[in-house]
Amino acid sequence: MKVLVEVASKNIENYVDKCDALLLGIHKFSVMNMVSFTVDEIKDIVLKYPQLEIFVKMDKNLFNEEIDEVRKCLTELNDIPIRGVFFYDLALLELKHELSLSFDLVWSQTHMVTNYRTCDYYYQKGVSYALLSKEITLDEIVEISRKSSVQTIVEVVSLPSVGFSRRKLVHNYYEYYQEQGTSSLTVLEKVTNKKYLVKEEEAGTGFLLDEVLNGTSVISSLYQAGVDYVLFREEGIPAFLELISDTKNYISLGCRDTSYVEKYKKLGDSTGFFFKKTIYRVKK
Amino acid sequence: MKKIELLSPAGDLERLKVTLLYGADAVYIGGEKYGLRANATNFSLEQIKEGCQFAHNLGKKVYLTLNIVFHNEDMEGVEEYISSVVDCGIDAFIVSDPFIISYIKSHFPQVEVHLSTQDSTTNYKAVEYFKKEGVDRVVLAREVSLDEMKEIIDKTGIDIEVFIHGAMCTCYSGRCALSNYVTNRDANRGGCAQVCRFSFAVDGKKDFTFATKDNNLARYIGKLIDIHVTSLKVEGRMRSLYYLATVIGTYREIIDCYYAGTLTEDKLKVFEERLARVANRDVSTHYLLKEADASDQYYTGRNEASNQDYLGQVISYDKESKLVKFYERNYFEVGDMVELFTPQGDRVSFMVDKLYDQDMNEVEVARHPDNVYYLSLDTDISIVTYSMIRLLSSRR
Repeated sequence: MKVLVEVASKNIENYVDKCDALLLGIHKFSVMNMVSFTVDEIKDIVLKYPQLEIFVKMDKNLFNEEIDEVRKCLTELNDIPIRGVFFYDLALLELKHELSLSFDLVWSQTHMVTNYRTCDYYYQKGVSYALLSKEITLDEIVEISRKSSVQTIVEVVSLPSVGFSRRKLVHNYYEYYQEQGTSSLTVLEKVTNKKYLVKEEEAGTGFLLDEVLNGTSVISSLYQAGVDYVLFREEGIPAFLELISDTKNYISLGCRDTSYVEKYKKLGDSTGFFFKKTIYRVKK
Repeated sequence: MKKIELLSPAGDLERLKVTLLYGADAVYIGGEKYGLRANATNFSLEQIKEGCQFAHNLGKKVYLTLNIVFHNEDMEGVEEYISSVVDCGIDAFIVSDPFIISYIKSHFPQVEVHLSTQDSTTNYKAVEYFKKEGVDRVVLAREVSLDEMKEIIDKTGIDIEVFIHGAMCTCYSGRCALSNYVTNRDANRGGCAQVCRFSFAVDGKKDFTFATKDNNLARYIGKLIDIHVTSLKVEGRMRSLYYLATVIGTYREIIDCYYAGTLTEDKLKVFEERLARVANRDVSTHYLLKEADASDQYYTGRNEASNQDYLGQVISYDKESKLVKFYERNYFEVGDMVELFTPQGDRVSFMVDKLYDQDMNEVEVARHPDNVYYLSLDTDISIVTYSMIRLLSSRR
């Protein structure tokens, strides 16, 4: 099992030897990044750090006018030995077929990667990896890992992304009240008393739960289940470099060092949906 | 040229029948499993079969939503369920999961598959992908503009379905799990708690809300017809009989008037007024003509009004006694101005002159919802079961 990191800094040197793979947001076609990269920058990183697997995040919902530019971008990426591209929009899969692109794709539809049969559907379409949804349980993850042919990626530490809108929600809020403001807000959901970060960017507005998803305690189970990558998203995570370095060591020693789990209890006790099943029928 | 389809929601068998009688060309319904309205009444297999027979006898169609985001456990039994629904005579499945799409197309090629809006399809290249997968129709994301719709239709030639009326999501459909995190109710398996209509606190500032106004494209039906959209979809499988009768009946008239070349501005205003009377939120065209902006949202929490316009549902009309028998729905009284409208599109306005309870005692007011009443009406229009009575103005 490898450690995959979505970076919040362009100082790539910091991540070398502390993880196995990087996830880099790309200009214009990825959303909710702390930093994003041009194709040239990605090319430089790939050439400079051959020991790192490089994945590129292209998870924006795409519109007609963007397709030609996406096609050009994918063609340029195809000349770089990247490991794969995370996609949300099915236009990416169509373009991969149309252009006979050689890099792999990662099915990354945020909240929709939830069962092994659809993972296998994508695998048969030439998609080698799947970033599983955060809203499924550990048992479901294990079942997908065991039953599907796709290589699985599980997000274990992050401020979880919980929604994305095309609307300019923060801008509209300030405009309505005729106030000056920034492009982000921290809001409190009054019943659960939990905070959310609302972040606006060119492509729309995203929502992050302002509470660390701490899946460090399930890494050993993921390891045993044969999960291929664990994903750490850097944004908002304290002492992040030490965390990923420790995790890499923990995995390399077979996930047997219980002091790792003890140490990272400090990230909080939110385990997301690993042990909590969602409901959807509320009346008979 | 094939006439555009008017597609209505139907939460149960009665609403299916009524909305087809009021002019829908097709209905979409949810079964007891796998639909995104897990808490609606939904249809048993027997009801699906009866609904299909009713629709087919009228030359109309029934589509079934199978558009949840499937978890491992949901896959158990889905193949048998699909087979059972096909046996009921369903015309199309509305699906978001591509594995399910491929399964249906390989096992039941005679049945259409419509790609759900849950996939938030926003460009022609993604449509091309699904067309190759055998999808017969794509329900576009509500974020797509009129010009983008036209380009998608021109470039792909696939049948396109567009939401024209009803509630909107704030986020891209499928790309929202706010409900999961705030209420533990699974947004993508039919449990959405509409958290986007909640009010969130902000330190030192006014509450942050991001609820959207409803969608209403009545004024642009002609443009959607002109760019060769295949189907016009009304949202709302949990809406009432009266809402469906009014909204579907009104869009039926708009479409028919447009094709007949008789859709004037004056008529359009009447139609919009009629739609407004059953709306419980303000409306907007959202992304159709521009990027959605501050005018498309509410900033003061839930803004929902109910009205008491719906007075009665007709059971029958006796031409000899000139009495309308009906179930009362909301309070009204002698002297009120009301309108009776029928599934055929006929309507008559009149002042309530005589009102009787179910024992034929003359009364001044109807104040017991669901009770049977009679009112006197002398008219030549054909008044049938499921005609409706609405309030125009109260004497109070």
